[in-house]
Amino acid sequence: MPNDNEIIDNIANKEYEFGFVTDIEMDILPAGLNENTIRYISEKKKEPEWLLEWRLKGFLAFQKQKLPEWQNFELPPIDFQKISYYAAPRNKKKYNSLDEVDPELLATFEKLGIPLSEQKALTGVAVDAVFDSISIATTYKDKLKELGIIFCSFGEAVQEHPELVRKYVGSVVPHSDNIFAALNAAVFSDGSFVYIPKGVRCPMELSTYFRINTENTGQFERTLIIADEGSYVSYLEGCTAPTRDENQLHAAVVELIALENAEIKYSTVQNWYPGDKDGKGGIYNFVTKRGICKGANAKISWTQVETGSAITWKYPSVILQGDNSTGEFYSVAVTRNRQIADTGTKMYHIGRNTRSRIISKGISAGHGNNSYRGLVQIGPKADDARNFTQCDSLLIGDQCGAHTFPYIESKNNTATVEHEATTSKIGEDQIFYLNQRGIDSEKAVALIINGYAKEVLNQLPMEFAVEAQKLLSITLEGSVG
Amino acid sequence: MSMTSSPSIPLFEEVVNGFHKLSVSGGTQQESSDLRRTRQQAFDKFRELGFPSIRHEDWRYTNLARFLKDEFTIEGWEVSGKAVLPDAALLKKAEIASLDCYQVVLVNGVWDGKVTGGTLPGNIRLLKVAEARQDPALSLYFEKQAGWSEHFANLNGALFSDGLFIRVDAGATIEKPLHVVHVYTSENNLLVQPRNVWVIHRNAELSVIETLVSGGEAKIWVNGLTEILVHADARFHHTMLQTAGAGVRLVQQTTVHQQRQSLYNNFTITLPGADLVRNDLQTRLEEDHTETHLYGLYLAAGSQLVDNHTLVDHQKPHCLSNELYKGVLLEQSTGVFNGKVYVHQDAQKTNAFQQNNNLVISKKATIDSKPQLEIFADDVKCSHGSTVGQFSEEALFYLRARGIGEEAAKGLLINAFAFDVTEKIRIPEVEAHVNELISLHIPVNHA
Amino acid sequence: MLTIKNLHAEVEEKQILKGINLSVNAGEVHAIMGPNGSGKSSLASVLAGRENYQVTQGEVIFKGLNLLDMNPEVRAREGVFLAFQYPIEIPGVSNINFLKTALAEIRAHKGLPPLDAKEFLKMSREKQKLVEFDAQLVNRSLNEGFSGGEKKRNEIFQLAMLEPALSILDETDSGLDIDALRIVSKGVNKLRSENNAFIIITHYQRLLEYIVPDFVHVLYDGRIVKSGTKELALELEEKGYDWLKEDAREKATTI
Repeated sequence: MPNDNEIIDNIANKEYEFGFVTDIEMDILPAGLNENTIRYISEKKKEPEWLLEWRLKGFLAFQKQKLPEWQNFELPPIDFQKISYYAAPRNKKKYNSLDEVDPELLATFEKLGIPLSEQKALTGVAVDAVFDSISIATTYKDKLKELGIIFCSFGEAVQEHPELVRKYVGSVVPHSDNIFAALNAAVFSDGSFVYIPKGVRCPMELSTYFRINTENTGQFERTLIIADEGSYVSYLEGCTAPTRDENQLHAAVVELIALENAEIKYSTVQNWYPGDKDGKGGIYNFVTKRGICKGANAKISWTQVETGSAITWKYPSVILQGDNSTGEFYSVAVTRNRQIADTGTKMYHIGRNTRSRIISKGISAGHGNNSYRGLVQIGPKADDARNFTQCDSLLIGDQCGAHTFPYIESKNNTATVEHEATTSKIGEDQIFYLNQRGIDSEKAVALIINGYAKEVLNQLPMEFAVEAQKLLSITLEGSVG
Repeated sequence: MSMTSSPSIPLFEEVVNGFHKLSVSGGTQQESSDLRRTRQQAFDKFRELGFPSIRHEDWRYTNLARFLKDEFTIEGWEVSGKAVLPDAALLKKAEIASLDCYQVVLVNGVWDGKVTGGTLPGNIRLLKVAEARQDPALSLYFEKQAGWSEHFANLNGALFSDGLFIRVDAGATIEKPLHVVHVYTSENNLLVQPRNVWVIHRNAELSVIETLVSGGEAKIWVNGLTEILVHADARFHHTMLQTAGAGVRLVQQTTVHQQRQSLYNNFTITLPGADLVRNDLQTRLEEDHTETHLYGLYLAAGSQLVDNHTLVDHQKPHCLSNELYKGVLLEQSTGVFNGKVYVHQDAQKTNAFQQNNNLVISKKATIDSKPQLEIFADDVKCSHGSTVGQFSEEALFYLRARGIGEEAAKGLLINAFAFDVTEKIRIPEVEAHVNELISLHIPVNHA
Repeated sequence: MLTIKNLHAEVEEKQILKGINLSVNAGEVHAIMGPNGSGKSSLASVLAGRENYQVTQGEVIFKGLNLLDMNPEVRAREGVFLAFQYPIEIPGVSNINFLKTALAEIRAHKGLPPLDAKEFLKMSREKQKLVEFDAQLVNRSLNEGFSGGEKKRNEIFQLAMLEPALSILDETDSGLDIDALRIVSKGVNKLRSENNAFIIITHYQRLLEYIVPDFVHVLYDGRIVKSGTKELALELEEKGYDWLKEDAREKATTI
């Protein structure tokens, strides 16, 4: 069997598959952040006055805030003036059909496994492809339109459905929520917009694929999903970026609104460039995701598979305002090399008889550090609220770390909150058992990890569960304890 | 950076002015230059840190503002601490029925030198801390305090007065438990800062029960600090019965250093009464193969705030720690539990378990629970759990169907809930005493 | 097929095996008996390559190859199968998926393509029937929530699926009731052939009533102190191990 050092080397040497760069002419705003940057972006996108004002308020809030300090590690300083806040493929105002899209771009997405022509596309999945700052194409748009479903880029929604955007943008994640949300409010470039009308069950998975390509840019997309009364939608996002020595910033905001009896299922497979084995380069993934169950019996479910990024901060949360509403959070986060994942959720129980369920599986290998940070808050009016939390950490190798920071706050004596957490090493006897049946240690680890993460993977839409499983195996290739 | 709020806190002003006065013209003059230096360092640190606010992660659920509004004095502060005779009625409150034990009484942190309950064996030594400064075991700790980052530890370091020094010689097993009664009483609002150092030498065994009682109308802020060293193969059983009454604000830091194969058992029992109880119990497992059991029971009522912070610091391999804290929240009380288990990279083969369960009885009670695991070693078994809930409806129904009134049934269930902790108390008289104390405060009594 | 020469092994610096010599040919069934703590299970672990055992002396030749040089998985692929005394539970890993993976690896090692889904299913059904293994269990997570008997039967089912050359049954009879014992033995008997061999490690003679061995060896204090035919097992049943212990002690002192 390989010894521990070889194993660590193996993990380290496993290369990132999606690290290529697309060579295409781009319009890139010079690095720097000031009011003019924001006016430039807003003008470029032909935005109405109210949106520009909202952006400027976000910028004001951003300037007042400091980088958070609560993490159990030192965050390297970020120079916000060295980032370019807008990059878009040149020459195109708007693509009317795929024929107008630069073939180089189509090839890029095809290479990433996201074919954009509907003939080739995954059946049952509509895709919005975002390249740096703008949306390239959205598939199956017309088919969805027949049902009254709006699925388009955020920029397009601002032009065509300003009343919806104006009503809901910032209603769940305010422009001043935290420093990265404020930055996003100020400079967000594009993203996806979804509206599911009353009583409509969206017949296919909606999906956005984010690709960072250009050097020294940040990606600041904003996604807004509104599920009107009695509707249902399942949405999935995926992301990759080229291999670079510099850290790049990704500060997205996602807002979900589920009205009475509506359900939103939001899944993420995050595979941003994680940096090299010494921790050089990689994406800083600082994302604010929050949903609100506004009406009674609403349900929001977050599922995430996190394998990429140098540093991830992400706490997809649910505000359980409507009575009997439900919030769920299922997460698998893998860190290796020098990766840091600090993730978890916040469940705010406000309405009566609200339910939340949190399943978090952290896997740390190499010098990776994985933290679960979560909050379960039961308000004084949340009678009979229930929460169940299970967070498990698995350690592979003796250089990694696993940390659990759950916060439980209850102001109601009818609430029931249960939190359980375990930390253990990957089972040597499990690996040996599999070895004895002829399965090498690498595959054995992959099998065990997939078993360990199954409860979460099962929550993913079928089309992506297999991909996610593969991704987990690849990420941990060679990581035998 | 100085806390913006601290300068306007009367106690902060009192401490700053008092320290200057004492170090220029008063009590600390007669102390060794080393000790004066450490006092000065601790004071400087405290002046820099001030009192903590809820912006400090360790104090996010414990807002001290309402407790710090009152004025307190450090009047009567003396290095050696003059003993005051305790009030008989107060002593009665601390009595543990039919317990055969040695007993010492400290009034406002000062011991009168008397031991009751029999003659102490020669292999255990009790001294006033002020008189024990020559003991090498004691000086070991007084040198270290300057490095503290905590607000209250530095405050104690700057202006502690006296306390109890215990030393048990190597190989000695002290059969009878030692009951340390802390009496707090004053005519005017007072800051009291006792400082205790207990050293259990190699392969020795001792059981200490501490009882806190208070009397009088005045408000007393107790900022206590106890350092415990459990040497290799030694066994120390430590019970704290926090039964102080209204007006008392207790901040107690207990730091335990454990050496190879030592055992430390702690029971922290907090009952209704004191306005504020904040316990910081830190166990530092500095050598391998140690065993640590921490049991807590907090019963909070009125507008009481009971905050238990624990740290189990696994520094070396093959150590076992097990922690169970149970809370019952009555009326408009607030309970806080923050339990941290830290496993260093060296601490392979660690077994660390932690559980916090809370029973929230009243509509207006609040509980904040924050268990934490920070793990840097891979070959470990660690787990924690935390629950918040109320009476099981089925159990309640079952008892009522057998003819037991609702209130009485609830009382039974609270006792059953507390039983997991109380049954672990190894001294039957103390266990009975704790059960008696619980029954004084739970609804079954009023049924 | 298997030759063990002067095998010494230790675990945590404690000598467990103190010079084992054993030769197993294709078509043979060898029983290894002995009191608790004599080193029976250690021998199984050493042959399968459990890492906490250090071989300090001796060699093991399997099909002409040095077994001790191989990783556990390579040993398995070469055809060494250990039926564990305590089969482990692996939550979330389905029995069938696990077997599919194992079989594909073993076939790949032999230069064979993996079975397609249909062939695999067919084989799985046949083998289930052969060893009377409940189809329901096949689809559950590996050993999770299985009873003791179910776990042992799963071991035999895997044995049937993977078709090893040498099977080592480590106290497969422990914790089995008589019905389960019969089913397990029947399975093993059906799988016996001229091309494979079995080493059956057991404390009791009971199992040997069902699986009749060609040779019986008694292991005591890390050595094989007596070898014989199946009659030796009966003798042991009758007289216990004590007379052999005496024997061994005498031998040790005279040396």
